[in-house]
Amino acid sequence: MGLFDRFFGRRVELDPAARQRLETWRARPEPGLSDDFRATRLVVVDVETTGLDLARDRLIAIGACAVENGQVVMADSFEIVLRQDKTSTKDNILIHGIGGEAQRDGLEPAEALLRFLDFLGKSPLVAFHVTFDQTMIKKAVKEYLGFEFKHPWLDLAYVMPGLLPEHARRYRALDDWSGHFRINNFARHSALADALATAQLFLCALPLAEAKRSTCYRNLQDLEKAQRWISWEN
Amino acid sequence: MAAPNSLILATAEHLARFAPFDSMAKEHLIWLAERLKLAYYGKGEVLLSPDHGDVKRFYIIKQGAVQVEQTETGGAWLELHEGESFPLGALLGGRTTVSSFKALTDVFTYELDKADFHALLKLSPAFQDFCTRRIATLLERSQRSVQARYATSTAEQQSLRSPLSSIARRKPITCSPDTPLRQALETIQENTISAIVVVEGEDRPVGVFTVRDLISRVILPGTDLNTPMREVMTPNPVSLAPTAHAFEAAMLMARHGFRHVLVADGDRLTGVISEKDLFSLQRVGVTQISASIRGAANLDTLVKAAEDIRRLGHNMMAQGVAAEQLTQILSTLNDILTQRIIELECSATQDCRHAFCWLAFGSEGRLEQTLSTDQDNGIIFTVPEGETADQARACLLPLAERINRALDACGFPLCKGEIMAMNPKWCLSLDEWKATFARWIDAGDPESLLNASIFFDFRPLLGQEKLAEELQAWLLAKTTTTPRFLHQMAANALRNRPPLGLVRDFVVDGEGDQANTLDLKLNGTTPFVDAARVLALATGVAATGTAARLRGAGPKLNIPESEVEAWLSSFFFIQMLRLNGQHEEMEAGKPMDNRIDPDQLNDLDRRILKESFRQARKVQARLALDYKV
Repeated sequence: MGLFDRFFGRRVELDPAARQRLETWRARPEPGLSDDFRATRLVVVDVETTGLDLARDRLIAIGACAVENGQVVMADSFEIVLRQDKTSTKDNILIHGIGGEAQRDGLEPAEALLRFLDFLGKSPLVAFHVTFDQTMIKKAVKEYLGFEFKHPWLDLAYVMPGLLPEHARRYRALDDWSGHFRINNFARHSALADALATAQLFLCALPLAEAKRSTCYRNLQDLEKAQRWISWEN
Repeated sequence: MAAPNSLILATAEHLARFAPFDSMAKEHLIWLAERLKLAYYGKGEVLLSPDHGDVKRFYIIKQGAVQVEQTETGGAWLELHEGESFPLGALLGGRTTVSSFKALTDVFTYELDKADFHALLKLSPAFQDFCTRRIATLLERSQRSVQARYATSTAEQQSLRSPLSSIARRKPITCSPDTPLRQALETIQENTISAIVVVEGEDRPVGVFTVRDLISRVILPGTDLNTPMREVMTPNPVSLAPTAHAFEAAMLMARHGFRHVLVADGDRLTGVISEKDLFSLQRVGVTQISASIRGAANLDTLVKAAEDIRRLGHNMMAQGVAAEQLTQILSTLNDILTQRIIELECSATQDCRHAFCWLAFGSEGRLEQTLSTDQDNGIIFTVPEGETADQARACLLPLAERINRALDACGFPLCKGEIMAMNPKWCLSLDEWKATFARWIDAGDPESLLNASIFFDFRPLLGQEKLAEELQAWLLAKTTTTPRFLHQMAANALRNRPPLGLVRDFVVDGEGDQANTLDLKLNGTTPFVDAARVLALATGVAATGTAARLRGAGPKLNIPESEVEAWLSSFFFIQMLRLNGQHEEMEAGKPMDNRIDPDQLNDLDRRILKESFRQARKVQARLALDYKV
């Protein structure tokens, strides 16, 4: 029994159809992390939650868009609201704009997460401040689908300073980097809009990466790891 | 398909802020948004160039600026910004692009596959219309908004533009050249008409007779009523094509004092337009003003008429009358005014025994006067036997000065550069003009080229027009055979480049009140005017107007008509903005000039202005190509 099972202390019962969908997803081939990004599909993701506490707060919405062959495919995008039994606080609602009614009208969480997995396939993930998105999604998948969501993630919050070290000290948040590339956000703090802004930032990163002979997802993961060490030293 | 998500909706909404997407149906915008891909190009990266082969995608700028460069000359010629799309021509024609598109800043573009682009053309009429007619579509929308702004009836405006065929519906009453006068007069009385057209063969008009001719040609001379019509009619009547506009007929009447104009399709008479038929033009006041000028007996009356002309110009501006018509109407009325001033001054003096012709230069010479204009004129004369040119000039100069001062009193300020008939330098005999022109053509220094750009637009206003015609013929014979001079004129014209865009690198200059404004004359219309002059002088086109020059030179240079018309649409759009600016300055009680603040324009007009600058660059590219500058 893993740490999370002990933490939540219950097993999830999925109906057979849901179980079948989950199995199908798990059986899909793993992505080639060394393929050129100009020839692969990556998914950029952003989440909205009830708050910033990784342990106690819950996942409200997921927004995601696909970057395929180095371009954002507008139609290959995804957003979903997970039904909440208890709506988040007013302050929180003011941040992401998903009101109490929308939260209660959201999709049943297991179904919402299955749809997310269907959309994702086995494409590697990209986010800004991965720890947050990763933890929230992992927690929800564990709680509602009952399995450990292990997936490749890439954190632009480390990749960008690695690519543009001259800005590393000044730029911290997504807004800083978006401002640098003049990326407009059509609705800040909506999961899909933030995912698009992150995806645009990723597009900006590609030529910079290629200039450093990083041509695939794995190269950028290595860059991220190195940058984490540098940040640690700082 | 599932309901579009917030990204697709936001993309559709974003596009809907710009033409042509703003006039597309919502479902077509969603259809488009669902097929877009978003791409990024770092500063300096080339998005598209002729090397890329056939164009595979349609690009819409989401953010950033793209510089368009002409591959042949390597010159930047346009900047594109958020909401603008490219390359329409290459996609429609299924070819490679002739320009290259480079990211001037970091750029994000929405991109649509070629097959989807063609599907969208079929799906959305608004999109199709924009892609195929482009500037014409934008202009129509701008004109609609001008009219809406002034909220007046567009009846006047429409009737000004209606073709003569729609006005002259009655079948004209005719007789033959052999018809006896008595019979023709009976016909006139039976039909209660005021004019009869004399035709030969298959309705070929050969003369006109009006009831006004009765007194001078029949009653007073006591003409025999059996005289055939050929002997009393006014021969060689002026006619217009059925496709000509109502305002052209009004101009012809105003200019020559006619009350009737024939409409003829080739050689065949199809109608007669009388002053009465141009009811709406009478309301606008063109005919009243021209009649009051003709009847004016002193300067005071003319000063009032000049005010009327200016008021008329502002009224027509407010009604959204197109610039081409407006500038022609203003120039025509100003011509009539000037002619009357000259007539009055000549009759008040003895020194006009010399045969001379009054010349108009510059914008007046081109029939392109705006609401604010100063004098540019001169005199050409013949030297009488036994006199020298200087002696003749000495007689003419005092007269010229009185005319110049009278024009000044009528609101045409004396020319600061002293290009006026009262200046001995510009009151010359035919031979002296030829010598002066020849000197400029042979010297080709900056001052000569500048002079050529003013004086070579000359047009006779009153007097011995044959002198001006002879000078014109001589000039064209000289310029068409002096390629070096044309090359210098072209190079000179290309020194004045239209701005690339409206945001960055936009030619806003001036100081104080003029800060951040753009000179629409220098940067906007001058490139067209200069190019038209060079092309006309090169091909021997005698017209002086920019439109007439380009329309005349175009076919001789194998320039497609559609291209010439796109240039002219742009030229007249900028003229309209100039007029509009002057109109608003006058309303606000400010001095009139040619400057506008581009930030004050609405989005649509700003967009068209940019497109017009692009056309100006195309005209210049044509010059550069022809003269290898």
